[in-house]
Amino acid sequence: MATPPGATAPQAEPRLSIRLEPEPFEPLRALAAWHAELAAVLEDPPAAESLFIGRVRPHTAGGEPLAALELEHYPGMTEAQLHALAYAAAQRHGAAAVLVHHRVGRVQPGESIVLVAVAADRRGPAQRCSQELLEALKHEAPFWKREWLGDGSGHWVQGNTPL
Amino acid sequence: MAASAPVEAGIRVRLFAALRETAGWGERLIAATTPCAGTPLALWQQLGLEPRCQGPDIPPGGIRAAINKQFASWDTPLAAGDELAFLPPISGG
Repeated sequence: MATPPGATAPQAEPRLSIRLEPEPFEPLRALAAWHAELAAVLEDPPAAESLFIGRVRPHTAGGEPLAALELEHYPGMTEAQLHALAYAAAQRHGAAAVLVHHRVGRVQPGESIVLVAVAADRRGPAQRCSQELLEALKHEAPFWKREWLGDGSGHWVQGNTPL
Repeated sequence: MAASAPVEAGIRVRLFAALRETAGWGERLIAATTPCAGTPLALWQQLGLEPRCQGPDIPPGGIRAAINKQFASWDTPLAAGDELAFLPPISGG
């Protein structure tokens, strides 16, 4: 596939940090740890970084109050897909490093569900890679959401929220 | 010889999320020598999973197949020892 306009050719293999989080996580702490990891191995930290934090809404897609969101995944395949998608997006846009943390299990409203960070030499590749990867993982990484209501009933979410 | 086939020679079928709950099971081992068990589409039909196919060669709408934890087409030949998963529409992120 052709390199997108504005993308720089990859200088080295992208550094990937992919993690499924079974417990609540704090995105800013995760980012600080990632920055420390990158600083330890990269001579010059990438100049641009794009971040996305997704949190659970307090209501269902149908507008009812949400008690909790359950995230099921396919152990082994989900991690492999996240790695493959992150690697492909990083290669395509020439990103130096990609971080993906994604919750699994039961998630409360307001809690972080996904963190995507892309470090690159310039803002264009960083932002484009981040958006492309986020859309890719929403459609190509096996996760399934179930919305739980206050009365104890739950239903599986069909498809994704609009962009 | 299907009855005497070792357990390891079967095809492990896995269902997730809504598919699992509709079917009432999440994992089964199918003898690899069972007739018509040669592709994901054939196994889907043999197991009587929902939604039903609209024709003998038409995969169920919205469902994807994965073999050994990689997406696969519905007509991919299965081999003994494979893990076949049927995946309902993804809703991550």
